[in-house]
Amino acid sequence: MILARLALRNVLRNRRRTGLTLLVVIAGFMALSLAGGFMAQTFDGLSQAAIRGGIGHIQLLHPSALEGDEGQSLEFSIPDGEALAARLRQDPAILDVLPRIQFMGLLSNGPKSVAFLGTGVDPGREPKFMAVLDSLKDGAKAKGGEGSRWLATEVGSREVILGVGLAKSLGAAVGSSLTLMSTNKEGGLNAVDVEVVGLQDVGLRELNDRLLTVSLDSAANLVDAGPARSRLSILLKRPGDTALELPRVQALAGKEVQALPWFELASFYKQVKLLYLAIFGFMGLVLFLVVLLATANTLLMSVMERVREFGTLRAMGLQAGQLTSLLQWEGALLGLSGSACGLVLTLLFRVAVNAMHLQMPSPPGTSHGYELNIHWVPMVYLGVFLGLQLTLQLSALFPGLKAAKLRIVEALRHV
Amino acid sequence: MLRLHNLTRAYELGGERAGVFDVSLEVPAGCLAVLAGPSGSGKTTLLQLAGLLDEPDEGEVILQGQRVSRLPEKARCDLRLRRLGFVFQSFNLVPVLSALENVMLPLQLQGLHEAAARQRAAETLDQVGLSERMEHRPGQLSGGQQQRVAIARALAPRPVLVLADEPTASLDHAHGGPLMDLMATQCKASGVSFLVASHDPSVIARANLVFRLQDGRLTATEGAA
Repeated sequence: MILARLALRNVLRNRRRTGLTLLVVIAGFMALSLAGGFMAQTFDGLSQAAIRGGIGHIQLLHPSALEGDEGQSLEFSIPDGEALAARLRQDPAILDVLPRIQFMGLLSNGPKSVAFLGTGVDPGREPKFMAVLDSLKDGAKAKGGEGSRWLATEVGSREVILGVGLAKSLGAAVGSSLTLMSTNKEGGLNAVDVEVVGLQDVGLRELNDRLLTVSLDSAANLVDAGPARSRLSILLKRPGDTALELPRVQALAGKEVQALPWFELASFYKQVKLLYLAIFGFMGLVLFLVVLLATANTLLMSVMERVREFGTLRAMGLQAGQLTSLLQWEGALLGLSGSACGLVLTLLFRVAVNAMHLQMPSPPGTSHGYELNIHWVPMVYLGVFLGLQLTLQLSALFPGLKAAKLRIVEALRHV
Repeated sequence: MLRLHNLTRAYELGGERAGVFDVSLEVPAGCLAVLAGPSGSGKTTLLQLAGLLDEPDEGEVILQGQRVSRLPEKARCDLRLRRLGFVFQSFNLVPVLSALENVMLPLQLQGLHEAAARQRAAETLDQVGLSERMEHRPGQLSGGQQQRVAIARALAPRPVLVLADEPTASLDHAHGGPLMDLMATQCKASGVSFLVASHDPSVIARANLVFRLQDGRLTATEGAA
């Protein structure tokens, strides 16, 4: 402990220089941990958007469903999807299973027809687990969206919810009557008159221009699906166990269908995550480099000022390795105190920023912004602390080795 | 106790060959010995060789019957810690430590527990007359007091030999004399030997043995232990 005590005194020896070095460490800690909290908010938001946007935690689909376009509706479907869904609902790890029918076609107001991407969902189950009501609320703010409501649960109701862009292109509003046309499994054309009961804004412009939601019953009738379903979205009781449960769900579902987790299906999430990791990874690297150079410079200067002192210590019997340890202790103390101050300031800054309810601009391709909320992620703070500590130890290594290599007789002569 | 046998250590200084050449001498236990000579005569070089701070080109340093000058640095470092003490011209105290902590430092490096080190350091500081100044830092002490702390630091680990390089050169006459008296007292009281490099007549006058050096060679030995 004598080396630790000596290191502490040495760190306090030149307070102004130590203070400046600490500022660099604190700034590095704050920048990295705040960026980590912001990333966590983004990843969390995107993952929730993907899961609650319809994918669920695990999705079951036909093995060829992701490989190519369907020639006709339900070409790549789960043949007896309803029965499989009912069977899976019995599993203790599964919260619920939401069957879906995906289909394409034309929506017409008479003079004009627009292509759509339709999804048939269970109107009773869907709002319990998916964010459909949130997107409806946003749709209600759109022109013609006033009075938006969710689909009725009665069998036989012919109601649709349109993406705000799709409704706009047809001049449709809540209460409008439109004609829905699609091909059935055999390729025959089918049409049905529907009433618009709501507008939906899912936040992505391209999707809003094509999105159409109907009840599972309506979709099944339109495309003559029978018990076949395009996909089954599975909600787990413990979302964190998705990767763990995946092989079990696959085994339960059989080889005819493929089970995929949400993080493999959510391509936007994957792309943004990679982009953020690249951007913040580079930023982190630069920050670590700045901290490394600043602290190495401080420690090296402090070594150069203490050459004779080191010579004396070595003459007294301090081993070369102990001298390196002394510098390591000094680096460690700078890192510990810098990280401790950085942690306190980061937490205060985080609380202040979150309390301001700042609105972030719309990310590319989306239609509305979001509130900045820097998340508290202990692992990020731990990672930043360990990274900085390692950087400080690394920065102390060269000065330590330089001090250890000093020839004692020359060090004692040093002025 | 210390024997230097045919020691040679040569180096270039201003284009000329300097150092010590073929020096042999012996310092018995409990002896205050002085290496005397003008500047550049090789006093400091010889002291550094005897203190295992440097390796001779030729010859041997024999400490308590053991050949030690060719030992690996780690072993020599350990010998410096356990058997040797050093006093420097400009004191070389650690400025961020108090007088007590400076004296405790080598004891703690030896592995002594803090309480034991504190007690022994306090006792040693008391012996050199600094019991009232233990908590002062070097910057708060006079030159004479700092050198007393340095002597206490050298003596506290109970070495067999203390090597002092011009210990009175930074002190005025009023402080230099008592400091040498203190060394002489310690020689008698604890049996520790002192090998002092100095050209100060008041230092030489207090020595049991005087080794006179000229141009790196031992020219005369005066006195007896």
